[in-house]
Amino acid sequence: MSDLDVREEVLAGTAPGEDVAIEFSGDGDFRTADMSLSIGPAHPATHGVFRIVLEMDGERVRDARPVIGYMHRGFEKLAEHRDYRQIFALVNRHDWLSGFSNELGAALAVEKLMEFEVPDRAQWIRMLIAEWNRILNHLMFIGSYALELGAITPMFYAFREREEIQHLLESATGGRLHFTYNQVGGLKIDLPKGFLAESDQLTSLVRSRFPDYVDLVLGNEIFHGRTKGVGPLPLDVALSIGVSGPTLQATGLPEDPRVTEPYLKYSEIDVEVPVGENGDAFDRFYCLLHRIRVSLDIIDQIHDHIPAGPVNTKLPKMVKAPEGATYVRTENPLGQLGYWLESDGGRTPWRLKMRTPSFSNVQAIPYLMRGQLLPDAISILGSVFFVVGDIDR
Amino acid sequence: MTEVLAHKGRALTPEETEQLLRDRLGDHVQQAVVEYGVFTLWISPDGWLDAARTCRDERLLAYDMFDSLFGVDARGDGIDVVAVLYSTSTGNRIALRARCEGGREAPSLPSVTEVYRGAEWMERETYDMFGVDFSGHPGLEPRILTVENFEGWPLRKDFHLASRVAKPWPGVAEPVELDEEGNKIERERTIGDAPGPYELDKAMAEQAKVVNAPPPAPAVEPEAQPAEPLEGQPPGAADSPAPDSADTTDGSEAGGDPAARAKAKADERRKRQAEARAAKARARAEKAKQAEAAPAAEEDVAPAAEAAPAAEQPKAGSGTEAPDEDEDPRVAARRKRQAEARAARAKARADKAAGSGGGVAGDATSSAPQAPAETVTEASDTAAEPAGSGTEAPDEDEDPRVAARRKRQAEARAARAKARADKAAGSGGGVAGDATSSAPQAPAETVTEASDTAAEPAAAEPAREQSAAGESSPPDDPAAAAKAKAEARRKRQAELRAARAKARAEKAEQSETDGEEDA
Repeated sequence: MSDLDVREEVLAGTAPGEDVAIEFSGDGDFRTADMSLSIGPAHPATHGVFRIVLEMDGERVRDARPVIGYMHRGFEKLAEHRDYRQIFALVNRHDWLSGFSNELGAALAVEKLMEFEVPDRAQWIRMLIAEWNRILNHLMFIGSYALELGAITPMFYAFREREEIQHLLESATGGRLHFTYNQVGGLKIDLPKGFLAESDQLTSLVRSRFPDYVDLVLGNEIFHGRTKGVGPLPLDVALSIGVSGPTLQATGLPEDPRVTEPYLKYSEIDVEVPVGENGDAFDRFYCLLHRIRVSLDIIDQIHDHIPAGPVNTKLPKMVKAPEGATYVRTENPLGQLGYWLESDGGRTPWRLKMRTPSFSNVQAIPYLMRGQLLPDAISILGSVFFVVGDIDR
Repeated sequence: MTEVLAHKGRALTPEETEQLLRDRLGDHVQQAVVEYGVFTLWISPDGWLDAARTCRDERLLAYDMFDSLFGVDARGDGIDVVAVLYSTSTGNRIALRARCEGGREAPSLPSVTEVYRGAEWMERETYDMFGVDFSGHPGLEPRILTVENFEGWPLRKDFHLASRVAKPWPGVAEPVELDEEGNKIERERTIGDAPGPYELDKAMAEQAKVVNAPPPAPAVEPEAQPAEPLEGQPPGAADSPAPDSADTTDGSEAGGDPAARAKAKADERRKRQAEARAAKARARAEKAKQAEAAPAAEEDVAPAAEAAPAAEQPKAGSGTEAPDEDEDPRVAARRKRQAEARAARAKARADKAAGSGGGVAGDATSSAPQAPAETVTEASDTAAEPAGSGTEAPDEDEDPRVAARRKRQAEARAARAKARADKAAGSGGGVAGDATSSAPQAPAETVTEASDTAAEPAAAEPAREQSAAGESSPPDDPAAAAKAKAEARRKRQAELRAARAKARAEKAEQSETDGEEDA
């Protein structure tokens, strides 16, 4: 069949006057014209207002271009107009699934700059709440990632636990999402009576239900098919981009500030870092899931260590940091959160740079999606765990 | 990847790192700082790219993880860019820091995207927030976080927070404004530095109020006067009169003496309370009248008469300070025109109210013609008042721009009062019968208030001018400076108290209006 015959055949099937977007190459094959596919800004697979423009060649993604900034609220500018005590209400909002961990980094940065001694009990409680917050965050992603791949049930399971954890945290902090439990020099208030006993019970409850997730998601054949070998990320590329958290650990590098650069009291306990092998979507999810188990182990250790004593220190009337700059990084649920805090000696930060994990992780998306099929693009997008507020700040 | 010789046990100390980089980069390494656990190395802009490459490729350093890159405002010196790098093999972290070339106008720096992939978005963000042009970057546009047609560089200090422009900080002072003892922090300004966020935002908020107010009826003379540069004055103080004007004031008892000022404030407060009481009494009378459903227009006039002397009280007080006859004739003429316009407006409102009310209850309208006459009296008072307060700041050489500003403020207040009055009139007019009788009253009342408030800035202004003059002179005597500061603080507190009292009075008035609506 000659080129001309193919052409005749194709044209015969179309109505007169209709434009056919088919090009013919010399060897008789035909390929479709490139198409630009815009996903978002409001799309269920993007967890917020996030847009990604895919240049499609048929079913294959030729290029991906994330478009961000829809949720830019200028937190860095706002923080420059707030007292050091007021910035906690701002910083716990960029990643709305890990409010406490966000505050924690800012508190550590301010305390480092002011050379503040934080009471031991406050440090242990901070760790405790941060780990519960981590579990809270990961449960959300377990549910939503499975949902993106077509499984509805894990979401219900995840929210069953989330509700109980939020109830626990609410009893201590008064908040469900934005805790604002930290303050310069410690915590707002001590734990309520019986909190540790409840926390202990909840640990065993969540641990007893953990196998459900492993069976339900990791034991699912479809899940394997959709994620194994999809969107592998080599270690050197990951580091060059600045990827962190489960996305980096999936590449096989046990890089976790809780271990490599311990803050608070993490040096006194054992922290296991689950790592992947290939850095693909499956490994990313595997690391995320097993970080829950690790956090439960950490919480158990904290229960044994937590001392008596005060949880905060008396602050001077004016909280002022001396001139200088510092950098603090903590392991947020989604990866490394860094705060560069620069002071000119006044009562407000001169500059508060938020180095958020999602911003760096999302940068890897174009690399991951290039050459993949469109259904895999969704699988990749979900596996680079991010929160849009954390990207845009 | 190159072979890495470094590991956790062989991490270089900051000194060794500095030495190594000095060997490789020479003079491009400017300075090394270790503070608060962060090792910062200052690099010249020319050596920026080489420094990044050396940090990554040098086998003893092996800074393989790109952490972040961002800008920092360096005031008059331009914009700094900081790149934070981390080594997963040694656990070391370094912050490379460079001051951009081109100052604040056109800051630029080589891009490090060819060394670290992650720099692409970070540099786009720095461009978006600070306007730093990274040469060699694949594409800084479109702006990554802000909208495409956004103008300005938001994280620079000379870009002001919009929310603070629309609404000043609700507290007494901005967090940045006061030190431990509550004294204002005086910081030397440098090129490109923003004026204090609070001062500037306050000024802009004032401006916004004037702009948003309905335009005044009388024709305004062209205000665009050639700016006269005042020697030895900061640009911010250009609007206030020359410092000597405050010194030569004779009748400065009220302006200079804090005790006298406090007394004046207290008088004002008492007056407002009296007004509020009168308003409440009127509301009660209104209710009683409705219950009787008897023609009682006289009762309406009576409380108004009660309120009128109260309103005259401060006028008398300021009047004793010998009104100045040498006031600028143009200013006087303008004031007269405004007063006339106000009177005309009030009359129109009264007529309208009379028209609507007349059809329903003849008795009620009897009080309506009363209102214009009253309004005129009040309005003329307003015109007289600034003349009285003029003594506090000598008028002979009063800056016309100051006068213009004062006039604008008074106008804006009058317009606001008018809006309130209109509202009250509207709600009153909507309810038929007796309720309309109170409607014409409202304009008169509010005008009274406007005249009161017009007196306020006049009293406050000389003090402000004086303090401005004090600030502009070099603080040679620390004791005197401390005294001046303390005085300024007392003044602010007094002002705050007055403002609160005013708010209370307004609230009372508001509740009265509501009561009428209910009726």
